[in-house]
Parts: sequence; C-alpha cells; structure tokens
Amino acid sequence: MDRRHFIGNSTAALGLLAGFSGQAKASLQKAEILVIGGGYGGATAAKYLRLFSNNTAKVTLIEPNPTFISCPLSNLVVGGSRNLSELTSSYDMLSKRHGIKIIQDSVASMDPDKRTVKLSSGKTLRYDKAVVSPGVTLIMNSIEGLAQANKAAVTLQAWKAGPETDALHKQLAAMRDGGTFAISIPEAPYRCPPGPYERACQVANYIKQNKPKSKVLILDANQDVTSKGALFKKVWAEQYPGIIEYLPKYNVTAVDAKTKTIKFEIQEDIKADVLNLLPAMSAGEIAVKTGLANSNGRWVNVNFINFESTAQKDIHVLGDSIQVAYAMPKSGHMANQHAKVAAAAIVAELSGWEVNPSPVLTNTCYSFVNDKEVVHVASVHQYNASEKTFKPAPGSGGLSPAPSTLEGVYAWGWAHNIWADSLG
Amino acid sequence: MRPMHLKPAILLSLCIGFSNWSMNTCAQNLDASNLYKRSLAASCTNCHGTDGKGVVDGGIPLINNLSSEQMLAQLKAFKSGAREGTIMPQLAKGYSDEQLETIANQLGKKQ
Repeated sequence: MDRRHFIGNSTAALGLLAGFSGQAKASLQKAEILVIGGGYGGATAAKYLRLFSNNTAKVTLIEPNPTFISCPLSNLVVGGSRNLSELTSSYDMLSKRHGIKIIQDSVASMDPDKRTVKLSSGKTLRYDKAVVSPGVTLIMNSIEGLAQANKAAVTLQAWKAGPETDALHKQLAAMRDGGTFAISIPEAPYRCPPGPYERACQVANYIKQNKPKSKVLILDANQDVTSKGALFKKVWAEQYPGIIEYLPKYNVTAVDAKTKTIKFEIQEDIKADVLNLLPAMSAGEIAVKTGLANSNGRWVNVNFINFESTAQKDIHVLGDSIQVAYAMPKSGHMANQHAKVAAAAIVAELSGWEVNPSPVLTNTCYSFVNDKEVVHVASVHQYNASEKTFKPAPGSGGLSPAPSTLEGVYAWGWAHNIWADSLG
Repeated sequence: MRPMHLKPAILLSLCIGFSNWSMNTCAQNLDASNLYKRSLAASCTNCHGTDGKGVVDGGIPLINNLSSEQMLAQLKAFKSGAREGTIMPQLAKGYSDEQLETIANQLGKKQ
C-alpha cells in the first residue's frame, strides 16, 4: 500500500469509525435506565452503568432512604460496640461525581408491558432498561402473631439496618441480668447466612461484659449452622461458655406477645426476655408484586449471563431478591458483584456488542465474633456456559483457620472500600 | 489513561493489522474488549477500590502502587501458594491465568 492510498483509506476509515461510534452509542445514550433500590446492588449498578458507558448512559436511581446504612457490620451496633453513624454513607457522590439522577421515593408499581414505573408520590417514569435491586421482604405472617408482636413493640427484627438496629440494642441494654435474648433463624435461603450467628456473638459479647448471668438462645430452623459452622461453634464454646446455647431444628411457628412465649413446630414453648425473631424471607416487595418472583413465588429467576429476569425482558434483578446459584450467598458483597456483571451486560447490549460470555463473581464475608476478632468465608464463582449458571471455581475459596484481629482490621477495610466502590 | 478513551487515530492504527475485518467490527471489538477487561477487573474493586484505587489507610493493602508485572507476580504467587495470606490465596485460585493477567494489566500502575 502506498502512502497516499493509505492516507486516503485512513481518512475514510476515520469517518467510518466516527460514524460507527455515534451510531453504536446512540441507543446507549438515548436509553432511559432506571435503577430501583440503592443498596449494595442498586447503588453499584447505577455507578458502574455510568463508568462502563464512559458516562454516556442516562441513569436514574430511585431509593426511599436519604442515606445508605450498611447491613454488614450492623450487628456491632446491636452489641453496642459501634454506632450507626459509622455505617452510614451519603448518596451525594453518585449524583455529584457520576451524574446519576437520584429520586428519593419508593416504587408503588411497575408495568413491564408499558415499561413504566409508578412512584409512591404519584409520578410515572418510563424505562428502556430497569435494574431492580429491592433486597428482601420479611414474610411476617410466616410466624403467627409476629405482626401483632411487632406492632406492640415486643418483637423486632433489625434485619435491615436502621432505627430498628438501635432499638434492638436498647432492648438488650434494658434486659435484666439473668434474662434470655432469643434469636430465631428461618430455613435457608435468607439474607446474610452467617448474620444471625454473628449477632449471637455480639449479643453474647455484650452480656459477658455487662450482664454475665444472662443467656443467648439461638433457635435455628435449619439442621445445623448454615455458614462458618465449625468456626462459630468453637467460638461459642471457647469465648461464650454458658452464655450461648444453640438449638438446631427449632422451627418457630408462633409468638405470644403478651407472655413473650415462642412456639415451635415440634418442641415445647420457650419464654424469653428479648425476642429477635427472623421470619422467612422473599424477594423485595416490588419484585414480587410485579410478578418477577417466579421461583416458588419467593425469589426471582434470572439469566445469570446478564441478570435479566426470566419473567420479563429488560428488567434486570440483583442481589438478595434472586434465586441464587449453587453456593452463592445472599450478601452485600455478592450484590455488588451481580451489579457489575449486569451493568457491563446492559452497556454491551445497548451498544450492540456481544455480552461477556464468561463473567466472574467473588464473595467475601467477614463475621465479628467479638468486637475485634473476625472470621471470613470467601468464594469465586465462574459462569458455566453449558449449564447457564455460576459455579464455585474448583480449588478456590475457603474459611479463616481461626478468629483474628488482623481480619478485624481487614473487615473494616473491606467495609470502607466497598462503600467507596458502591457509592463514592 | 482509561482504555475506552483511546483516540480514533490510535484505534485505527491498532485496526490496520486486522485486514480481514471491517473497520466497524474492529472498533466495536476494541470497545467491547475494553468493557470485558474493565468488568473482570471490577470483581476485585469491592476490596481494592474502583479502578484499583483503594481507600488510603482503609485497612486493606493498597495495590495501585504495583506495576502490572509486579501485580501479576503477586497474584500468581497467591494462586500457587508461594505467598500466604487470608483472603487472596483463596480468591486467586478461582481465576484462570489469563484472567489474572487481564486483571493485572487493567489495575496495575501504568508507566
């Protein structure tokens, strides 16, 4: 090729490139992308939709709360060694730094046929792509009397960090020495598998220092501890002997608010002073109401390559609401990872590119066994194209050998980094 | 410099080699490839910060002072077991060598 020929071609090619570039991004730039829910999944999705589109996608985030309060680490607030302000982040950077429109409201309904979302304030928004990340709904009627007990302020869950977290600590602080703090766990799957066991540790840590005659009862509907079992049991035996009692296969069916009595499917009734009863859980309310929860009516089946709902096109569902793949926990870290895979897939699709055929997810979950020592579980999940699901990568992942203060430092490091990665 | 910000002239020069491809396909593949690399590297950024820029004094070892070569050497050492750690030996074993190389190229300090 002579030089003149090359220059001629290259000029034409540059024109083509520019033209292509304009066309390819047109649908990406024009598309209205609505992200519903600003937790670990939704906030990350909104931010990474902007990053991966080089700030060209139009992204709106709908979130009812004025600030982000982290569920991970909130058991430390229940135990009294930390406070909620340490777990609270602003949404401001998502708008100021990343150009995301934030609407502080909740979604009353979605119409997938018309591709519209109706806000509780009455306004209707249109979308081309919706990202739905609404967390979980606590199914209050799965335990008879629980709704009434909550209303009477006898029981509370504190399974979404916020005012209830503080309220549960106050109930613990007000408990008589010699009292019983009962925490009940529904059958898996539920949000944050190790969370209830970590909470038991935090309550026991408080009791050990402040009310040494008191007890923590763990009433677990499952056959055994669902996460980090050997580590937790060792900690309970070594650090909290005589304080924590673990009762597996205790399925709570009812509660009597007046007498603070818990009833079970099989066993005798148990009375307690503080009743922290966690009912069965499902996908967030808006996902269920929109007909997306097509796995037993509780969880949302998604195509794992792009996290699109199998029930409705152009609605991508993230985080705790989905029917998980094998060994995939419902965790904040995992929701952040779902969000990045979904964001990349949405940008690719709207650009007319092939969606990444081999996405990867990681999970890292730290649990505090007292106010300083921590244990972790970690895993890597590679997409398996032939089975169309994520599978744990052979030989990867694992647990801490024992609790350590080094991992306590890393746990806070994890928190500060994931908050910055999701919201900063 | 972010890969997605390659100027058209640079894209063009990279595309010259792919004589059987149309220019459109080539540019598209470069952009799609960059998105793939960025999304793979994003699987690390929960703990190590967006684009590998971690929170200073946040508690997690910072990685953005490492060159791509140094980062790849560390990742491979975690994977083989030559380097001990808490989380990283368990995570590195879950990635293929090609994936680790892509991540190191993406998050390593550019010269």
